[in-house]
Amino acid sequence: MDNILPSYLILGAILFCIGLYGALSKKNAVIVLLSIELMLNASNLNFVAFAKYGPNPALSGQIFSLFTITIAAAEAAVGVAILLALFRNKGTSDVVEMDHLKH
Amino acid sequence: MGGLSVMWDNLTAFFSHGPNIVFTVLAVVIISAAVLMINFDKIVHMVLAMALAFIGLGGLYILLAAEFVAIVQILIYGGAMTILMIFGIMMTRHKNQEEEAKRPVHNVLLLIGVVALFGILFYAIQGTAFVTGAPLDPGSDNTAAIGELIFNNHVIPFELVSVLLTVAFIGAIVMAKREEE
Amino acid sequence: MESTYAQFAWIVPLAPLVAFLLLLAVGRQVNRFSAHIGFAATLVSFIFALLVFVERLGEGSAYVWQDWDWLTIGGTAIGLGFEVNNLNALMLVIVSGVSMLVNLYSAGYMKGDPRYSVFFGYVALFTFSMLGLVLSSNLLELYIFWELVGVCSFLLIGFWYFKPEAKAAAKKAFIVTRIGDVGLLIAILILYWQVPYHDLGFVNLANAVTEGAIEPGVLTLVAILIFVGAVGKSGQFPLHTWLPDAMEGPTPISALIHAATMVAAGVYLVARTFFIFESSAAAMTVVAVVGAFTALFAATIGVAQNDIKRVLAYSTVSQLGYMMMALGVGAQVAAMFHLTTHAFFKALLFLAAGSVIHAVGKQDVNELGGLGKKMKVTAWTFAIGALALSGLFPLSGFWSKDAILTEALHENVLYFIVGLIAAFFTAFYMARLFFLIFAGKPRSSHDGHEPHESPAVMTVPLVILAVLAVVAGFIFTPFNSWFGDWLSGQPAGEHANWTVIILSNLTALLGIGLGWLMYGKRSIDSEAVAAKFGWLHKLVQNKYYIDEIYDAVIVKPVKALGDFLHLVDRFVVDGVVKLFAGSALLIGRLGTRMQNGQLQGYGLVSLLGIVLLMVLLAGRRFFHVG
Repeated sequence: MDNILPSYLILGAILFCIGLYGALSKKNAVIVLLSIELMLNASNLNFVAFAKYGPNPALSGQIFSLFTITIAAAEAAVGVAILLALFRNKGTSDVVEMDHLKH
Repeated sequence: MGGLSVMWDNLTAFFSHGPNIVFTVLAVVIISAAVLMINFDKIVHMVLAMALAFIGLGGLYILLAAEFVAIVQILIYGGAMTILMIFGIMMTRHKNQEEEAKRPVHNVLLLIGVVALFGILFYAIQGTAFVTGAPLDPGSDNTAAIGELIFNNHVIPFELVSVLLTVAFIGAIVMAKREEE
Repeated sequence: MESTYAQFAWIVPLAPLVAFLLLLAVGRQVNRFSAHIGFAATLVSFIFALLVFVERLGEGSAYVWQDWDWLTIGGTAIGLGFEVNNLNALMLVIVSGVSMLVNLYSAGYMKGDPRYSVFFGYVALFTFSMLGLVLSSNLLELYIFWELVGVCSFLLIGFWYFKPEAKAAAKKAFIVTRIGDVGLLIAILILYWQVPYHDLGFVNLANAVTEGAIEPGVLTLVAILIFVGAVGKSGQFPLHTWLPDAMEGPTPISALIHAATMVAAGVYLVARTFFIFESSAAAMTVVAVVGAFTALFAATIGVAQNDIKRVLAYSTVSQLGYMMMALGVGAQVAAMFHLTTHAFFKALLFLAAGSVIHAVGKQDVNELGGLGKKMKVTAWTFAIGALALSGLFPLSGFWSKDAILTEALHENVLYFIVGLIAAFFTAFYMARLFFLIFAGKPRSSHDGHEPHESPAVMTVPLVILAVLAVVAGFIFTPFNSWFGDWLSGQPAGEHANWTVIILSNLTALLGIGLGWLMYGKRSIDSEAVAAKFGWLHKLVQNKYYIDEIYDAVIVKPVKALGDFLHLVDRFVVDGVVKLFAGSALLIGRLGTRMQNGQLQGYGLVSLLGIVLLMVLLAGRRFFHVG
């Protein structure tokens, strides 16, 4: 009972790291986007956990996480739109093929 | 011998509290869903695993007395996001392009980096003495409470977010539009 | 003592230096006048040298001027300057005189050569170096000019550098004399270390030796090392191999450098440092033995050579051996006397040979013959030179050779016998040379290029030198020891030793007679004699295979070592350098692989960087505590 907060935080850290791994190692762009969403979720979990068990419990943590979810959704939408445009130009959704940063 | 018995005592104390068991179950579900997402071969399976993770997280939010956030999470993430991704997959698929090119050096280094990062975070969390303030008063209705807070204290971010959403979906439409011939 | 001319003695080497610089700068423009410039400069030198010499004839101590500090290291200073004493003054006259005549002669000999002005520039530089060497007041300055003379010799031997033999000969000359020079350098270093005040001036050295400031063992070592330097420069055995090959250079050079002056520098060096040698009996014996051996050794080789200049070259080596032998038995006066007369008649012989080569274009004795009728002046002057060299009374060579043989007899009868045998061979091969070139019938056609007498600019020096070869001997005879008194500062009265006089003349006549019989009258067939002594003849004709021995024992192993070290350089040294370069390249390539435009790669690097940063920052806490 005393201090379940660290458990929530560690859970958040685990999810964050798994999301990071997925974002940096997957070839399909959609999966990369999905992994980034996982990372955002992990930070949301942190907010809500601190909202309940932190030094200053308040509802503003939850409100902030609402905003985060909103932003994440908008970003995912734009991301998929970009992906569609790229797919039309390159014919592939493989991130390894997107090497325009090289030149 | 003393350390082990202390650990056993802690564990039994932990699991004697109901919500802790639920937390553990949900945590296992979420983590395994995330790991499965990484390891599945077919993309659609990956997306479904992710959806499971999102829903599990929603359950966790309920445990944290954040009902509204939980519902929003399930609606947006588990619903809209998943569908969005599936649409994305559907529109960017060649026939059978599921082989992963092997990048062993990259993957190994990445694994090491990620584990190291987790190690640092773990160390930081373990080393901090968290102070718990007064317990949260969730109020009788979480949604109403949140609504009051938003429209009283955080109106401006609310309006800004709505503008941002508008901009975002207009941008997305423009980007995804088929070019005029 | 007031010296009016000696203080201007520095003008003597300066005039040719100015000529050299002038020819270096504007040589091409004044091409035709290069000879005039060279001759004028050496004429100026000669006049001043004569003035200095005449002044020296009076009584007086040597004039030394060493006030210019060239190098100052801490408390010690090495100075440069010049000294004029009797020995110097004599050498000044010889060197400038022969140089002047050679300049005159070369105007005719080198006419039409595309590098005409360069030639006279080099000759002027050489004259400057040799005169500077002679005037040096300290041993280090002498060494500087010694090396300079070696360089000029190299330049002039290889003057026709498009001929591979000339290039090889020039290199050989420089390298072989360098071996001797190392000995001289070590001697200088030892002396510098041992001598009080670290002053290498000859005056100081002489004082140090007479006062016994240097240990006898060290003195012997120094003397032998100085002699090594002289062996290199004067072509004594075993460093004689460069002199015959040096005949690849133009003949006036052979006359100036390799007969009269540079090779005499070795003898001069020993004479100048004679006080060191006198204090060590062992060193004197070494000098005498080497000299005697060389005299006989070179004379035997000269008998079987077919190239005019090579015969004369071996003759030079042999005569230098005589001079060294004289120095070794303590006869400094006799050695310098022979040096003087030898300068005249050997230069004469070389210039005459050059006259023949210039007229006919051939050097092999077997292809010449019957030139006496067409080249009268050359033939007569050559004959006079040959007779002087053979040591026939009353020519100059007789008096000087006699002086040496007399002293040699006093010391050890073996030296005398060796000298006598060498004299026999000398007379023989000179007679052989004369009869093969000038007598009889032409042995080969001249391609419609009829030989005629050389122009006056070439024959006038011949005549002048011939006159000198005749009369120069009278300055030091048993009846008139003026030269000896003057040079050594003590009465050097020589008593006529009739044994020596009669034996030496007899030997010379025997040699000439045999030569006439074999090559003049042809009553003894030279071919038959050669066949009878087949192996001996072959041995001698191939110079005792010394060059081949050196090649196998020294040159090839050194070259093998050089090749091995070259491999080490290529693989080990270059390998290390390539290792560094290669590793830099490798790192570069690794870096390039990271810059592949892959976002995930960049992300990975960022992640690793952040982790590293956090570890380092957080870890500082631990390390500071510890």
